[in-house]
Formats: sequence, C-alpha cells, structure tokens
Amino acid sequence: MPNASDVVNSPVARRAALAVAALALLAYPWGAPNSYLRYAGVLVVMYAVLATSWNLVGGFTGYVSLGHAAFFGLGAYGTGLLIIDLGMNHLVALGLSAVGVAAFAVVVGLAAVRARGASFVIVSIALVAMMALIAQDARELTGGSSGLRVPAISPDLDRTSNHVLFYYLFAALLFLALGTWWFIDRSRFGAGLKAIREDEDKAEALGVPTTAYKVAILALSAVFTGVAGGLYGMWFGNLDPIFVFSIIVGANMVLMALLGGVRHLFGPVLGALIVAPAGEYFLTRFGETQLHIVLSGFLLAVVVLFMPDGIIPAVQSLLRRFGPASSSIREETQQQIRDRHEVTT
Amino acid sequence: MVSGGLLAQGLALGILSGGLYALLASGLTLYFGVMRIVMVAHPAFLFLAAYTTYFLHRVTGVDPLVTVVVTVPLFFVLGIGVQRLLVSRLAPENLAMMSVLLTFALALLIEGGLGVVATGSYRSITVEYATSALRAFGVALPIDKLIGFGIAAATFVLIFLILRVTRFGTALRATIQHPTAATLVGIDTIKVRGIGFGIGLATAAIGGAVLAIVDPFFPAAHWDYIGKLMAIIVVGGLGSVQGAALAALLLGAIEGVVQVTGGATWAGLIFYGFLFATLMLRPQGFFGGRLAERF
Repeated sequence: MPNASDVVNSPVARRAALAVAALALLAYPWGAPNSYLRYAGVLVVMYAVLATSWNLVGGFTGYVSLGHAAFFGLGAYGTGLLIIDLGMNHLVALGLSAVGVAAFAVVVGLAAVRARGASFVIVSIALVAMMALIAQDARELTGGSSGLRVPAISPDLDRTSNHVLFYYLFAALLFLALGTWWFIDRSRFGAGLKAIREDEDKAEALGVPTTAYKVAILALSAVFTGVAGGLYGMWFGNLDPIFVFSIIVGANMVLMALLGGVRHLFGPVLGALIVAPAGEYFLTRFGETQLHIVLSGFLLAVVVLFMPDGIIPAVQSLLRRFGPASSSIREETQQQIRDRHEVTT
Repeated sequence: MVSGGLLAQGLALGILSGGLYALLASGLTLYFGVMRIVMVAHPAFLFLAAYTTYFLHRVTGVDPLVTVVVTVPLFFVLGIGVQRLLVSRLAPENLAMMSVLLTFALALLIEGGLGVVATGSYRSITVEYATSALRAFGVALPIDKLIGFGIAAATFVLIFLILRVTRFGTALRATIQHPTAATLVGIDTIKVRGIGFGIGLATAAIGGAVLAIVDPFFPAAHWDYIGKLMAIIVVGGLGSVQGAALAALLLGAIEGVVQVTGGATWAGLIFYGFLFATLMLRPQGFFGGRLAERF
C-alpha cells in the first residue's frame, strides 16, 4: 500500500522536488526585494558550499575538522595577494591559489592523518590558530588587523550586480561540490573512505590505501573551501584575519553539516539554510553581541547530544513512526511488484 | 643580539608560566584518563574561574587567592555534572570526535556567556603585596608570578599524592588503566569517573585564581590556551601526569626565551611547531605513558 514515505522516496517526486529547489535557488536573486537580502543570499549559498566541502572529509571519513577556516582563509588571502601584488587576472589568481591550497592541504594532511580521532581535531584547531597569528603579524603582506582590500572583479560593477554575479558563482560552486560528493558516494574511492569511517584498521587490513585516501579527500575538500574563500575575497572586497581565519567559521561548517546530516548529500545544504539565516537574523535583531557565540554553542551542543545523525535521519525515522509498522511480511501484491519493475526497467 | 641577562629573564618568566601550564595540563590528563576524551573547554573553564574570582574579589573585597574556597568546590561539582549529564550521554562508538565537539560547544557557551555578562574588554586584579619583584642572579622575578607558580606547584603535588597514596587514587588509576577490570574488582567506575572529572575542573578553578592575579584576561583569550595546552599534552604524550608537567615546563621555558628574542607571535607559533613536529616524528609523545599510543 502506498504511504507517506513512499511518496517522499519515489524517484519522480524526488526529482520534482529537486528541480523545484534548484529553480528556487536560481531565481532567488530576482525575487529578493532589497540589497540586504541579496547580500544575505550570497552568504547563505557560500556557507552551503563550505558545509558541503567540509562534508567531503567529515561525512565520508568521519574525521571532524574544526579548522577548515584555515583553507578558506588561505584561498582568500592567496587570491587577494596574487591580484594585488602580481596584478593577476581574477580567475587565474583563483585557480593558482586553489592549487596552492591543495598543496598545503597535502602537506598538512600527511602530518594530520598520522593523528587519529581526537588528535586530528586538535591539529585542525591548531592549524587555524596558527594561520590567524601569522596573518595578523605579517602586516606588510596582509595588512594585519586593518585588513586587506581586494579589488573588485570589474570597476564598473554596481553593488546589486556584484551580489547577483557572486550569488551565481557560489551557486555554480555549490552544484560542483554536490556533484563531486554524489560521484564519490557511488565510487570505489568513496567505499574506501566509508570503510575508513567504520573501522580504519580493518579497512587497512583489507587493502584500502588509507593514508593516500585520507590525504586525497582532505586536499579535495580544501580546494573547494579555498575557492569559496577566494570568491569571498573578491565579493566582499575586504579581508579581516580575525573573521577569515576564525575558528567560529570552522565550527559553523561542522554545525551546519551535522545539523542537516553528514551522511546525506543535501544534509549540509539544509543545515546551512537553517543556521546561516538564523545567524544573520540574530545579527540584525540583536546587533554585534556575544550572544551569537552562545547560540552557536547551544545549537552545537544540542545537535551533538540529541541529534548526532542530523535532521534528515531524525525526520525520516519520525515519518516511519507515523507510517505503518514495518514487518517481515511483504505487504505488496504481485501486481504491484510487477508494476514497479515495469516503471524502472 | 639579545644579551644573556635578557635571555635569563625570559627563561625565568617562561618557567614561571610553565607552572600554570603544568597544572592545567594535569587536569586535561585526568579527563583523558577517565573518559578517553580531549576536553577542549578546559581553558574556557579556566577563564570562567578567573572571572568568578574577579567578581568575588570586586564584590566582597576578599583576597583573590582566598576565593578558591568557593570556586574549587563549585567547579568540582560542576565537573561531576558535566561528566554525568553531558559527556556520559555520548555514544561510545564515536566518543573521541563527538566529545571534542561537545566540549567545544561548552567552550563557545562559556566564551559567549562571559562576553555578554562581563563584556569583551580586559580585566585584571592587582594585589598590593604582589606588585614588586624579587631580584636574584640579575633576574627580576615578579612576586605575583612567583605566588602563582607556588600555588600551581603545590596543587600539582597534591593531585600527584592523591593519585599515588590514597585509596581513591588507586581506584582512579585502576579505572584509567582498565575500566572493565576495575569494575570487576568492585570499583564503582561511574562514581570514580565523575570525581576524576570534578578534580580536573577543580584544577581549572585554582588555575583561574592564579591567572586572575598574574595576567590581564578577556573571554576570547581561552583559544590561545587551547593551542598551548594541546601542544603540551601531545608533546608530553597523554597518559602520565608527570609527562604533561615536564612538557609544560619545557615549552613554557622555550616560550619565555622566544618571547624576548623573537616576539610574541613567534612565541605563540613555537607551540604549534612542537605540536606538528611531535606528530611527524613521535606521535605517541616524548614523555608519555602506555596510554599515549593512540587517542
């Protein structure tokens, strides 16, 4: 008998829902009534990219990195400095700094993956704290705490078209990141990564090249994060080491991914759609107070304690509870099974 | 070139702050021992204690060091609460990662809470009897830092004695070594774990009183301590209280010397340098016990 969860899980309904969501995403800048909402839209899509990139490591391997802001900041400063100091084209600078971030991630990865479990998290925290110290100290290079001005992509771009342009650039990056996750999820590489998540020693014993896999996925995740950082620099036009290398940004990526559900393709996006607007609303409602740190901490604690698998599995199990009880007895008639096979084949 | 006198001064100050690091690192070792978790919120609790000391001192006028009679029991109970109500609820199969996230969330809550209540500006306590400095061998030793070091060292010795001499210490060490076996010989490991956590937070309470008199503090500064303490426990190798203390004094001394020769940024970076070098060369740490092989 068809029930609510069948409707949710049926391929046609899923594809229709996806198409509607994608259309809504693409149409947003045209429907947004004012510049602030367009700005907030760019921010939300950027966080969706960041959370999805983070989930390449966190979701597949189970390694939690709190220091992804290091890659974000490195991409941002790399891109900005290549544009300013070497007068490079924006896109070339973005590509070069992505390569640089990848190389950096490989080096860091080789040190970090020697550490399992908690020490990996510690290394990731240390990484972002270290980068923040360096970025604030190297004044002649980064401008220190007064910030670094990144020239706009084109001088005759007004504020609205700047927001719209970067909204679509971030959206394109989001599709690319989601596509990469989807592809890895179904690949041999992805199976190896998930084996690492479930039991690293057994995975190694079965011949999964664990070190190479972990370093590769960390580098891939870092590239997406770094490109998002570079785009952020060009869009926002000003880089502040306190924000760019902030551990709070890294923690937000983790929070969004965990909240949505790290084992689901759209989990991090869903988390970003909830956390980022909530954060912005909080900022406009209460101003720049420390309350938003309290809110982030509270949400993170609640998710870790009560919903470690995220919203998507929680809702699914809720739907299952309201649906008919599952039993070992097949409740489909032979006719229904035949019909289903005719649809799929 | 930096003169020898300045180097000696830096070294002396570095060792003095190493005392506080050693006390804090012993708390981290305890948490790790009883629960196999890394408590990222330890420095945040340190700052919570420093602010509690500050406000108790401002309101009642009692000596900041006397406030430990209030903060230590308070933090001890708080520690038992954190272990019983929060940490023990986490699923065991992914405890290492989730506990870091949970304690990270606690750190955010404390940092944000302190920011809301006490604002983000610097605070400090000056006590009249500790404004001068002792001179020995051409090195100035500020009295407040000496007192701080003395308190940290005394607390450290006390914890060490509790672990080694008392019956509870034996039970705690048994729980650390092999929880299942400890349960089998009749140790109430649930209770022991809670108390172990309580003692860990009590070190943060004492550390907070010390911090309040030796250094100015503000809520977000706990991040610096996280990096430093994590480097110390990785270099020391988790497992033994002595290993952590040795690493704390060593890195504190190096920090002090680098502070006078290379400046504050390099002094901060030294810790991360040691952290990465240790992970590359000897991931189990340099002074660690048997627990240190993997965490």
